[in-house]
Amino acid sequence: MVTGMKLEVRDLTVAYDRADVLMSVSLEASGGEITCLLGANGAGKSTLARAVLGLTVARAGTVLLDGEDVTREPTHRIVARGVGVIPEGRRVFPKLTVAENLHTGAYLVRDRSRVSARFDEVCELFPRLRERLTQLAGTLSGGEQAMLSIGRGLMGSPRLLIIDEPSLGLSPRFVKENFQAIRRVRETGVTVLLVEQNVHQTLAIAQRGYVLSGGRVSAAGTAEELKQHPELIAAYFGGH
Amino acid sequence: MDPGLLAQHAFNGLMLGVIYALVAVGFTLFFGVLDVIKFSHGDVVMLGAFTALAVSAGLTGAGVMSHPLVLLAMLVIAITLMAVVGALLARLLVLPLRGAPAINVLLITLMAGTVIREGVRLFYPQGSNPKPFPRLLPGGTIEIGSFTLRHDSAILFVIGVAAIVGVYLTLARTRLGLAIRAVAQDPETAAAMGIPLTATVLATFAIGSALAALAGVVNGLYYSEISFNLGLLLGAIGFSAAVVGGLGNVYGAILGGFLFAALQTIGAVALPFASAYKDVFAFAAVIVLMALRPAGLLAERSAERI
Ligand SMILES: Nc1ncnc2c1ncn2[C@@H]1O[C@H](COP(=O)(O)OP(=O)(O)OP(=O)(O)O)[C@@H](O)[C@H]1O
Ligand SMILES: [Mg+2]
Repeated sequence: MVTGMKLEVRDLTVAYDRADVLMSVSLEASGGEITCLLGANGAGKSTLARAVLGLTVARAGTVLLDGEDVTREPTHRIVARGVGVIPEGRRVFPKLTVAENLHTGAYLVRDRSRVSARFDEVCELFPRLRERLTQLAGTLSGGEQAMLSIGRGLMGSPRLLIIDEPSLGLSPRFVKENFQAIRRVRETGVTVLLVEQNVHQTLAIAQRGYVLSGGRVSAAGTAEELKQHPELIAAYFGGH
Repeated sequence: MDPGLLAQHAFNGLMLGVIYALVAVGFTLFFGVLDVIKFSHGDVVMLGAFTALAVSAGLTGAGVMSHPLVLLAMLVIAITLMAVVGALLARLLVLPLRGAPAINVLLITLMAGTVIREGVRLFYPQGSNPKPFPRLLPGGTIEIGSFTLRHDSAILFVIGVAAIVGVYLTLARTRLGLAIRAVAQDPETAAAMGIPLTATVLATFAIGSALAALAGVVNGLYYSEISFNLGLLLGAIGFSAAVVGGLGNVYGAILGGFLFAALQTIGAVALPFASAYKDVFAFAAVIVLMALRPAGLLAERSAERI
């Protein structure tokens, strides 16, 4: 078991050029829970994930990890605190092999025996990766790339895992496998922030969630509460 | 043609190929991690050679007569200093221009190269004149028929090849190499994996510039003469070699270096009446090659970067 990291986002405002994408968004995610972030296309979910990682600079607001302000830290320092990332669009390194991709995920782990133990665990989680360790990641199928991206995000034994739309473009079977993998990760105590479009499956594995619409939090609560929430339906079918 | 003479030309070509490859790998590494052309690279080669010359003059002046010792000192100091210079150029001139058009980096490094070149000319004692470079390697030869292999050339060849192999292994097998390749392919995702971007870029520029220093010293030892403007031609050749091979592709740069040397050698052999035109011949051949394969020889694979 690991102690999950506490993520707190306070009054975060992000603007690209002129348009405000996030307006004073606050949320929390804590250990042993899957906190999901729902919202229509363009609602600002990925922007929030990027701002937490320092990939997009926030105009105002703070991001706290275990109570420490990391808002202005460079991405690699934030990640070094124990954050694993499964980015939107998978973003595997196409010309690195599967094994090399996994090793980038453990870049910050100096202890070789820990890396190889973790490597074996990830291969156990995704046996299809083990069969393809020397294949270039760019030649993997979409589903295999998704597994690789998840595996890579787990390689550093994160205490906070940020996942952005892992099931996009996958067949239902792969989606199910991926959701199971995420559920198992959270059972080990890791804090999971899950950005998803797939409302029903997400709320089935999440403990709590937030709905973004038009750059603001329009609904928040436990997964059970959100399942009943009219805002959620509005966010997906009624626009913003 | 007499096989001995042929072997002679072939070896000379290989020797030049090593020097060009050392320079070309730098261009391709810089382009790989930052998508920039660093035009001061040729002048860093020259500065490396002059640093080595200064070290040798200093040590000889201080009474150090042992050739291996002087050679070792000049290699270590020139390579280390140029690694620092390369990282500094990246920190001060290239990184601040991230996000600006690539042409700006090209221009600013072109000017930095001019500053380095003119600086050496002005401040190195009698810097405008060609300088004899000390012969520090054993001077014997091996004669096989009409083929003469100078010991010093053989040693330089081995040193150069070892450096190229070393860089290749660093990129392919080490943690730093993995970081460099990841940053070259997708800097944002690399950062999200915890890879420090700035440090990796600086390390890449240090490695490329260390190779440039080695190329400068090897060049000096091979020709026994250096001058403040040697970086102009070597820079142009290294750049052409990297482009012909497919910018961003390390194998391409190595291949391009040897190819350019082969073209020069063929030019020198085919145009014996005018071997001074061997560079013209080689550059003309490069132009034709570029017209035929605009993206470089390893084009399909060059998309993969490094
Ligand atoms: N670099 C950028 N420059 C300008 N606008 C941007 C940039 N990145 C995102 N945006 C805009 O910000 C808004 C939110 O984008 P974001 O990617 O956060 O949405 P999302 O909720 O993740 O959507 P999706 O579900 O489609 O992934 C969109 O309108 C998008 O066009
Ligand atoms: Mg998104």
